[in-house]
Amino acid sequence: MTSIQSFVIGMLSLFLGFVLEHLPLPDLLSWFQPLWILVIITLLVFQSPQTFGLWLAIPAGLMMDAEQGALLGTHVFTLSIHIFLVQFFFRRIEVFNLFQQMAVVLVLALLHQLLSFWLAQVMLDFPHPVNMWGPAFSSMFVWPWVFALTRLTLRRISA
Amino acid sequence: MPPYQGQRTLLVCLLALALMWADQRYAVFQSLRYVAGYALYPAQQLAILPSSLANWMDESTTSRRDLLDQNKQLSARNLVLELKAQRLASLEAENIELRELLSASEQVDDKVLVTTVIAVDPDPYTQQILINKGGDDGVFIGQPVLDAYGLLGQVVDVLPHTSRVMMIADSNHAIPVQINRNGVRAIATGTGALDRLELIYVPNTADIKVGDLLVSSGLGGRYPRGYPVATVEQVEHQAGQLFASVTATPSARMDRSRLLLLVFSQGAGKVPSDELWRNDR
Repeated sequence: MTSIQSFVIGMLSLFLGFVLEHLPLPDLLSWFQPLWILVIITLLVFQSPQTFGLWLAIPAGLMMDAEQGALLGTHVFTLSIHIFLVQFFFRRIEVFNLFQQMAVVLVLALLHQLLSFWLAQVMLDFPHPVNMWGPAFSSMFVWPWVFALTRLTLRRISA
Repeated sequence: MPPYQGQRTLLVCLLALALMWADQRYAVFQSLRYVAGYALYPAQQLAILPSSLANWMDESTTSRRDLLDQNKQLSARNLVLELKAQRLASLEAENIELRELLSASEQVDDKVLVTTVIAVDPDPYTQQILINKGGDDGVFIGQPVLDAYGLLGQVVDVLPHTSRVMMIADSNHAIPVQINRNGVRAIATGTGALDRLELIYVPNTADIKVGDLLVSSGLGGRYPRGYPVATVEQVEHQAGQLFASVTATPSARMDRSRLLLLVFSQGAGKVPSDELWRNDR
């Protein structure tokens, strides 16, 4: 796949991610809304590290800030650290089995939540409360499905 | 991993921190938020497409008889309302006259803009909604939002075509109110539950009863004066405590209203100093 192709597919999937983030949910489920953008960015950096790198943190982060009404830059910070970690552990995650991958996603999502909570606490007088565990766990459970779907689609495209 | 990735990440992080610091202090970066808002708009619209489709289907498949029934009901209601409005017109004129006698000029009529709720913030910790009017329509941060029954909240974030409204039930929100019956002042804070506000700093001896209507006092300079906010639901006097614990039910139907009003009031944003003590009776 050329880098232009993967760029276009990546942007489309990010768009889909923002649609999913906006999806209205019933009250109970809203505690467990997966961090779609985080999962999709992980996937993109994982699948085509040549195309998607650190730069992705800036536009995606700014859009997440505008979407959630957070201070501009909050998610740029968390996403850039996230992308760095995914790139850092790239070789290892590649040979992990599914459950190990899920554990990695859980840890990364928790770190993202923790960082945004910490930033809100430091920057604002009152901390904007962050629902820490629910989204992290649901992101973990979403990961295998998204991952399998991507692999399947890529195989179809290349075949 | 590309070379110097650690250093680059550090650089981006530092830039992000600087941006956060600047965004908190200077309004210049609102334009950046604006651009991001333009990019987000299609995603937002697509996400609410199912519900807007359902609405459209509902509207376009209503039977003729239903419409006629509705029309009859609405015209009857309109008649009643017009009757009330006639009385109101004379009252308003009288009010203005009396105010002129008191040499206090005040706008009684506020300009409003009708808007629709397009989404509810999925974050369970906050009580915020998105509405379909934004900076391009003249919406500004801090603008009061009403529904047909009372005050609903204020605008906290403005994007080009949408805005974010923090409702008065949000636990980070507080609004200065006064009892309509006798003018006793208090502050109503949100509890995070949509059907309950708490009144803080109400003295144990204050004249407050269950069923009292609380209206906005306009003292914070953010909300216009005199709009209904809540009705007192429970008053508990605890011996030994300085303040009574009072809970109230918001007048606005925060979980049901679809059409909201954005108020462009003349007085909002500034409180004349003589008004500050005139409310005190």
